[in-house]
Amino acid sequence: MPTKARPLALLAELTYRCPLKCPYCSNPLQLARYNRELDTDTWKRVLAEAALLGVVHVHFSGGEPLVRHDLAELVREARQLDLYSNLSTGAMLADVATLTQLRESGLDALQVSLLDARASGNDHLAGMASFEKKRQAVEIGRQLEFPITLNVVLHRHNLDHLEEIIRLACEWRVHKLELAHTQYVGWAFRNRHSLLPSREQVQRAAEIVTGARRRLEGQLEILHVMPDYFQEFPKACLHGWGNAYLTVAPDGAVLPCQAAREIPGLEFKNVQEDSLESIWFDSPVFNRFRGTQWMPEPCRSCDRKEIDFGGCRCQAYLLTGDVAATDPVCHLSPQHDLVTAARIEEKGLEAKGPEADRRDEQFAYRTFSS
Amino acid sequence: MSDCKIRRPQLVRHARYRCDEMRRQHQIVFPESLLELNETGAAIVQRCDGRKTEELIADLRRQFPDQETDDVHEFLGRLLQRGLLCDADES
Repeated sequence: MPTKARPLALLAELTYRCPLKCPYCSNPLQLARYNRELDTDTWKRVLAEAALLGVVHVHFSGGEPLVRHDLAELVREARQLDLYSNLSTGAMLADVATLTQLRESGLDALQVSLLDARASGNDHLAGMASFEKKRQAVEIGRQLEFPITLNVVLHRHNLDHLEEIIRLACEWRVHKLELAHTQYVGWAFRNRHSLLPSREQVQRAAEIVTGARRRLEGQLEILHVMPDYFQEFPKACLHGWGNAYLTVAPDGAVLPCQAAREIPGLEFKNVQEDSLESIWFDSPVFNRFRGTQWMPEPCRSCDRKEIDFGGCRCQAYLLTGDVAATDPVCHLSPQHDLVTAARIEEKGLEAKGPEADRRDEQFAYRTFSS
Repeated sequence: MSDCKIRRPQLVRHARYRCDEMRRQHQIVFPESLLELNETGAAIVQRCDGRKTEELIADLRRQFPDQETDDVHEFLGRLLQRGLLCDADES
């Protein structure tokens, strides 16, 4: 369905290269297939086209965007275009000189990922020692007066350390703590068996966050993205497909969602051949799940169709094989048993006891060679 | 309090006033968010440069003669509460 809506935010995935190996990375599994990155001039054109299209926020992301030597130049370009720029980094390359140069180039905000409150847990999950780098990056960022968000993806291996994570965020004096439960797409879907928490962990986390919000009001903002596997209804993925967000992947493919390129049968246009404007408004892939016409039952006659937009297309595909199905996390989905089964499997493993539980040794770490 | 008195309002460093020509909209942009402003709101925010609140209101009245002082204080209070304003005296 055609739209008049214009995107507010561009996720500029500058590269899939990254020193970290997080087992829930949102990048595609077939990383090596997309290793030809756009050059600097093309990215500058993308930024200019994004600004013209109505984009307000640009999120420089990856992979690790700091591996790109032209990042400061792109930040400067974004600033000149009056875009509000944000950098998401894993912090391995975030030294004083680099962050200072980015600040001077006009970077507005900084997001640093953290995998666990404990160095050992963080480093184990990341597949390498990185905790200390993250702590330093936050400190440097604070000295440069960046607004800093600490991003923590939650799952069974760090949920029991949530109080410590919140304490650390206070200690490090970040502005915002984003606690996002793992979304089971990309690498996280591959590692779902190892990452899926228990219902008890999820409930306890919600209580801890509620308490912390009350205690820390005015001091630390906490964003809590709930785990949709444990909820009644799906999340309002992207606030609707092709409605407010777009992603440009390292090779120039334009995606409605960063995880969407793993859905077979969808043909993504590339900024090297088409303008961002024509891709946003006219490409079949962006129009495919706009509005409500595409929806199957039970979505089509559901009161919530304008609230959650049928949920996540990537999740629908991964679980059911049908990209146009109702997101199975919805309890009204005829295929909801696919999600129940995953929870039952988790419960079975939990019941075996810690001795028999080898889930933290079974990560498929993110790698280019798979 | 939403109407707390702020002496010398200015936007915090991470918030920016922005005129979105595409949407014909005045905005304050800040991390992962934006606040849409009406004409009066935009006129106030554009004057949040560290001058005294009384001067800001006096200047604002040149453009909007009927503007109530209390409404301006309330608006500034709301921005302060959202962490978008600070007091130039304290920074």
